[in-house]
Amino acid sequence: MTDWREFVLNPADYGLPSRDELVALRIWDLHYHGFLASDPLTQHAETMPYVDRMGIERVFSLEIGGSLDRPFAVTGIETQQLEILQRDGDRIAGLTCVDPGEPEQSVEKMVKWIRNGPCVGIKYAGHGRHDIRASHPKNDAIIRLAAELQSIIYVHTWLKAGGDPRRPGGGNLSGEATPMDLVTLARRFPDVPFICGHSGGDWELGIRAIRDQPNVYLEFAGSDPHSGAVELAVRELGVDRIVWGGHIPSRSYATELAKVLDADLTRAQRMQILGGNLRKIAGPIFRAKGYKI
Amino acid sequence: MPASPPGQVLDRRGFLQTSLLAAAAAPLAAQADDAAAPKSSEAQLPGLIDTNVHLFDWPFRELKYHTTPALMEKLKRHRVSEAWAGSFQAVLHKNLDGVNRRLTEECRTLPRFLRPVGSVCPAWPGWEEDLRRCHEVYGMHAVRLYPAYHQYRFDLPELGALLEDAARRHLIVQISLDLEDPRVHHPALNLAPIDITPLAGVLRRVPTARVQLLNGQTALQQGGTRELLADTQVRFDIANLEGTGAVGRLIDGRHWSIKAQVPLVRLLFGSHAPYFPFEAALLRLFESPLTRDQMLALMSGNATTWQEQRGS
Repeated sequence: MTDWREFVLNPADYGLPSRDELVALRIWDLHYHGFLASDPLTQHAETMPYVDRMGIERVFSLEIGGSLDRPFAVTGIETQQLEILQRDGDRIAGLTCVDPGEPEQSVEKMVKWIRNGPCVGIKYAGHGRHDIRASHPKNDAIIRLAAELQSIIYVHTWLKAGGDPRRPGGGNLSGEATPMDLVTLARRFPDVPFICGHSGGDWELGIRAIRDQPNVYLEFAGSDPHSGAVELAVRELGVDRIVWGGHIPSRSYATELAKVLDADLTRAQRMQILGGNLRKIAGPIFRAKGYKI
Repeated sequence: MPASPPGQVLDRRGFLQTSLLAAAAAPLAAQADDAAAPKSSEAQLPGLIDTNVHLFDWPFRELKYHTTPALMEKLKRHRVSEAWAGSFQAVLHKNLDGVNRRLTEECRTLPRFLRPVGSVCPAWPGWEEDLRRCHEVYGMHAVRLYPAYHQYRFDLPELGALLEDAARRHLIVQISLDLEDPRVHHPALNLAPIDITPLAGVLRRVPTARVQLLNGQTALQQGGTRELLADTQVRFDIANLEGTGAVGRLIDGRHWSIKAQVPLVRLLFGSHAPYFPFEAALLRLFESPLTRDQMLALMSGNATTWQEQRGS
């Protein structure tokens, strides 16, 4: 029987935080893909021990009700997901996926899963189903309802090298937002917080793209760890505009925590990035739903 | 607290005492305001051999630890005792002998800590002389290949010849499969993806070759991996091994996206520092609930044993 909290060598002896020190940082993981699998319930059950081992306080699942590829399809695990959110509500929160090309269905889904359900936010996935991205005005009804519900709004963004001529973003899928697309959207709703997922994919350019749009937060998750990335983000955006996720199980807490641990930051700044800023964004809807902050 | 010599197994009580004392003495280790050294009175804890380090400037960005003294301080802070260092200059320079000479001189500043790994490109003329100098002039124990950046495939005939020559010289050959996610490449780069499939056949013909694939996540996810693992003795590093608990799950054959089971002995510690934050590879060891023996093998034991095999 594995003791998930036991470490045969002490991480602190190797210049890393111990598990107790990770727990003390009160880490909230905005990017949990535990249900993204052909057998999502089994994967979730296998993934959560690592959450515990690494001292993560709370994860936000991005696949509650529907999947990223088929956001409105019945998955067959909705009842179990509701039970999990009810039973483990102090550990797991839920975001549900919307589609900017299907605003009416998206709004219906938000009413079901957020207004009348346990979820606390929405996710825009990177997709190639059509060419309507998060920036499209057709999508504004989704944001208006999200603002009314005080939902977390997470937008997957990337800047994939590709195209002809070759350029950053030229390799994106047709419906996959760039950080610039998100800024276009965020300008229309300057009082609504948005989260720019994956630090824009290419963080050196993503940071520049969102720099002048103060209601856009940068998320570090789901990309290779690059030494110096978090420091540039802090310098250009301010530590108040950075949030963090683990992107497990396809990525790892090793990769994602390293980005923040490598950076020259104070403990208070680390706590902001690893959960404090997300608590501020999520605070209103958490309080409305009576969830633990 | 008495020190535990490398390789000596602490009993559970001893371990707990060590851990508790270290934890009590150590505020959060990775804080900038107090992150100068490991937080332990233990001077003889098992160290790490990092098989995947580069010196000098990454061509596309100034890295945080781009100077050798800064990188060395960083590695020592995390108890690295030996680093196999290639040169980022090899990525875009054509005069690889100049690259190897400068690397050798730089590594002489810390001779027992930094072990230079020369670069050779079998697709370019004169590679045989580069390899000879790496061995005979610079005294290297390993060379590193960059097929993606130097634009050749594993069915290149000269690759087999290079592996044979390296094996005769008892040189380790490291093949760097990736340095950077191609999605964030500078647009001026348009590198063909590496097909790992022919490599097993090449290595079968040179069974004494000692080859390590660096940053091999993508290769491990490709089709020909089972053959590579079954028919060759190829090693991997863990620098870009993704998936939560990836190391343990890979050893157990339960990795999230890699179907092959990779025996423990095939895995060496590598960080891809200073491009990646060193903490990423180090945390991979702790994210999996490994046994102490497994930890020690990954940290340095596998690399030490493999070096000593010398083409057996």
